[in-house]
Amino acid sequence: MIFITGGVRSGKSTFAEQMAAQRAKELGGRLHYLATGAPSDEEMSKRIMRHQQKRSESEFMWRTWEQPRHIERLASSFSKKDVVLLDCVTTLLNNELFFLNQEWEEEFLREVFERLLDGIGVLQANCAELVLVSNEVLNEPLGTNELVLKYSFMLGNLHQELVKRADRAYLVESGIPILVKGGRG
Amino acid sequence: MHFVTGGAFNGKRKWVITRYPDGKWVSAYKGEALVEDLNALHAATVVLEGLEAWVKELSFSREKWRSIISGWRKWEQQAPARQVIVIGTDISKGIVPIEKENRSWRDQTGWVYQDMVVACERVDMIWYGINQRIKG
Repeated sequence: MIFITGGVRSGKSTFAEQMAAQRAKELGGRLHYLATGAPSDEEMSKRIMRHQQKRSESEFMWRTWEQPRHIERLASSFSKKDVVLLDCVTTLLNNELFFLNQEWEEEFLREVFERLLDGIGVLQANCAELVLVSNEVLNEPLGTNELVLKYSFMLGNLHQELVKRADRAYLVESGIPILVKGGRG
Repeated sequence: MHFVTGGAFNGKRKWVITRYPDGKWVSAYKGEALVEDLNALHAATVVLEGLEAWVKELSFSREKWRSIISGWRKWEQQAPARQVIVIGTDISKGIVPIEKENRSWRDQTGWVYQDMVVACERVDMIWYGINQRIKG
């Protein structure tokens, strides 16, 4: 598993796509793109279209799946040689947290946390390489709002666990990937 | 002195506990007051957690902070077994805050961190549990 994060417009998605394509070439498997976001406005739609366009123009064949929740249900669609790119973990967390209009009590949050990690685990077990993209949002004042703090706690801990599980973890700064964990092997 | 920084909820506390299991902790996040004279703690290894929160709470001048930092450093140097570890969350990378108070807090924190790094022989940045040694 490869974990990639970066700030807004850091080039993390582009890097992740290159990385996934390269791994697919090495592994001889197919490329899957797992989109977790539903377009919420026009700008978002354009953004999604731009990424789709880029993938369709690339020399690799991408198969796109839209799955905002329960990603593990896609597991049977992949073969053990395939590479799956999931963009992005943050949206996946948002989808889980906001899908039901539920109070963010400790038990609910823990359940969401476990479910996301289990889902990712199932995908990982059913493909050759899972590439995860996420956002860097924890380096600013978080304020005192309880919801913001709970959300940040969830995301930070999720990232910590994913980095622990990943063979390689990258932080992308202005298009430059910094390898923080693991080496090419 | 050892400064440990990184984003919120990135595993800084866990990393420091593993590295310095015998440290005596003072945490701004628990509402504990800043300790200027470390003799008061009666411990060889002290961990001061939440520097940015004390910067906000106390609104000291940069000069005052420099003298506090240099006091910690002097205390540490007085005996070979002494170690001071300071943890400060990185709050520098978001959008410029609208409120003047929060803008000034962010600026102050950045300056105090710079002075902190100069005074420390080692600095680590924690990113989701992994340390990157950026000084020392």
